[in-house]
Amino acid sequence: MKKAIIVFVLAALVLGTVGLWIYSSSGKFTPVDIVSFGVMFLVVAFAVFVGIKRLTSAKRGEPAEDELSKKVMRRTSSLSYYISLYLWLAIMYFSDNLHYETHTIIGAGILGMAVIFAICWLIFNFTGLKNE
Amino acid sequence: MNNRIKEYRARFNLTQEDLAKKVNVRRETIVFLEKNKYNPSLRLAYDIARVFNTKIEDIFIF
Repeated sequence: MKKAIIVFVLAALVLGTVGLWIYSSSGKFTPVDIVSFGVMFLVVAFAVFVGIKRLTSAKRGEPAEDELSKKVMRRTSSLSYYISLYLWLAIMYFSDNLHYETHTIIGAGILGMAVIFAICWLIFNFTGLKNE
Repeated sequence: MNNRIKEYRARFNLTQEDLAKKVNVRRETIVFLEKNKYNPSLRLAYDIARVFNTKIEDIFIF
């Protein structure tokens, strides 16, 4: 239950930050900003999905985590880390040709890592871990 | 590895949720086990066999 609440609080914090960003900007958004908003909303939607799943389990009197969910998380962490290395390599390779500020590139890398993690988790969560 | 969890569950008139509570896992884990999408740990296999008052090898077919 506590972990589910933490997930919701973090999602609310991210949404609040995005809201502040939109509020403080002059209303002119570049394509990079729009893509960033989209990715952030996807990450928040993923967090809310995980939180709802945990709350549902808690309401049914089941443990929030069991051996399968721990294995899924372990496998997701290792695979997403491995893929993220390639993401950062690609970012480093293309950063010379991209005329964006350093913080924009680093932000894109961090968002990319979050998206990779979410995709890996969804794949393992819905296909299972047969040969583990 | 195949298993006969669904068959035993029906025999003991247990729902997936009931079995999940008895072996202290989430219902999703039982769903994955029945679909053969997850191989359980020895501990979980033992707990499931104990719920059905049988041996591990009667439920899990290697």
